[in-house]
Amino acid sequence: MATTRAETQFRIDYPNSRARASRIFALDAISADAMRKITEDPWVDAHFITVGTGTIDPNIPLEDALILTDANGKAVQLSAELEGADVVVLIGSTPDHIDAAEVIAKASYERKIMLAGLALASGSDASSSAAVVNAMRPFATVLVVSSDNDFIPAMLTALRA
Amino acid sequence: MLRKEINDLLTQTGGSTPMGSMFRQYWIPALLASELPKDDCPPVRVKLLSERLIAFRDSKGRYGLMDEFCAHRGVSLWFGRNEEGGLRCPYHGWKYDYTGQCIEVPSEPEESGFCEKIKLKGYPLIKIGDILWTHMGDQDARPPLPTWEFATVPAEQTYSSKRWQESNWLQAMEGGIDSSHVSFLHSGSLKTDPLFRGAKGNQYNQADKKPIFEVVESDGGLFIGARRNAEDGHFYWRVTPWVMPSFTMVPPRGDHPVHGHFWIPIDDENCWAWSFDFHPTRALSHEERQAMIDGYGVHNQYVPGTFRPLQNKDNDYLMDREAQKRGETYSGVWGIGMQDASLQESMGPIVDRSKENLVSTDNGIIMARHRLRKAVTAFRDKGQLPPGINPEDQQVRSAARVLAPDQPFAEAMKEDLRVRPGQKQTSV
Repeated sequence: MATTRAETQFRIDYPNSRARASRIFALDAISADAMRKITEDPWVDAHFITVGTGTIDPNIPLEDALILTDANGKAVQLSAELEGADVVVLIGSTPDHIDAAEVIAKASYERKIMLAGLALASGSDASSSAAVVNAMRPFATVLVVSSDNDFIPAMLTALRA
Repeated sequence: MLRKEINDLLTQTGGSTPMGSMFRQYWIPALLASELPKDDCPPVRVKLLSERLIAFRDSKGRYGLMDEFCAHRGVSLWFGRNEEGGLRCPYHGWKYDYTGQCIEVPSEPEESGFCEKIKLKGYPLIKIGDILWTHMGDQDARPPLPTWEFATVPAEQTYSSKRWQESNWLQAMEGGIDSSHVSFLHSGSLKTDPLFRGAKGNQYNQADKKPIFEVVESDGGLFIGARRNAEDGHFYWRVTPWVMPSFTMVPPRGDHPVHGHFWIPIDDENCWAWSFDFHPTRALSHEERQAMIDGYGVHNQYVPGTFRPLQNKDNDYLMDREAQKRGETYSGVWGIGMQDASLQESMGPIVDRSKENLVSTDNGIIMARHRLRKAVTAFRDKGQLPPGINPEDQQVRSAARVLAPDQPFAEAMKEDLRVRPGQKQTSV
């Protein structure tokens, strides 16, 4: 059946996918600033989480020892955030929290969660972006280096976050 | 997923639409030079950016591209007589030169100067390589001539073809930067196509069907790297350059010629899929050139006398389910170019991107759309020229290489991804 404009009217109109749970982690202050600008947008099921600094309790499993806060500033745990997640996006612009990136990436990898890394090249030098990319490389299914922070909402929209 | 208004912005290229206006900032391929093979040869109809045009080569070898229809009564000048320095309408003898200027109106006294008041819309048409290029924008803002490597190497090193694709330009172009489909759709052809087979890189493609992608911006567009596992923990990288708005190159395989594409809107529901093959340092062999003419690699076979593919939507692309079962083709459609075109046309003339479900590995496509949107809105709202016009942006190559795991391709392959005259492509 040849595909024509007229024929496309007969395509079934229905939702062909269920909502995805997306977890977006900002790894440093620059990334957190960029992320904060879009948290109020109407997302489907996206949690925006910032990696913070502080003393890590050695008695807690490493992945839950990370200091994480959600968009409202409330402390959250990585394992709880990854429960039921479909996609994880790591946003980084400096190598400040590369260790945290590795923990999040490993935890996602072990749970078979698709992981995308986004290195923001704006506001950071080339060596910083390279360090971020190198840290994410072993775990991510895709890495993007972008000089444009507007790519964050563009990517999340495209992925139905 | 792309919202409807952005999909419309990127896919509508007619008239004064923003994307159509942006396309008009570039030199674009208009015709194969072989379509106008000699002075005073028959004129050729061509539709570009939703405009019906006529191309001809006058008695002095000058190429003209102008409104197809005579200014007198609207007759198609395809019926015209190409003679004595112009194209003459056969209806009442009005004659036009290669710029579209009317130079003769037989019914009016020559002294009246009437013909000077008549001019068809015309565009420049220049030959670079085996292609005739045009710039359909403001002549006061004409960019430097194109410098693409495939078009500037000696004639014996390059071959170009074009085919009519019955879909919007964007979904065709997106196929060109979507490396992940190669391990599936083209898997049969990697083993059999004379312009692909035998390269060591093919083994990596076939062994690792889950490439990891890295997308890096370039001045003119993007570099999209696809990484597959190689020996000893190393990675086999295939890097595809995309230069705005619609130029892509396929990463090379072995010493085979390097191929690539332009996708140029005919109108919003059709585009010209331009395909080229070239070798940076040697002439194409007779066998290679013949394979291209016969429709192998990224080229195709034709309905005789047309640029419509022999395999087209009216004959279900000559689907061969038995060849599919035997593993000769993955989709049942023969030929790499038509494997792509058949699926892209099946989406519909303009795919509804609000229904799609992209995944992380589609980030090359997501970034390309994003950059196009930014470029077209910056051009529309601020008059900012889009990337890809600067000749320097066009000096890119595709490349394939095995790298150590800690080497980012963007750094390690920086030189490989630039044109290096007289030096071979970087390939595996």
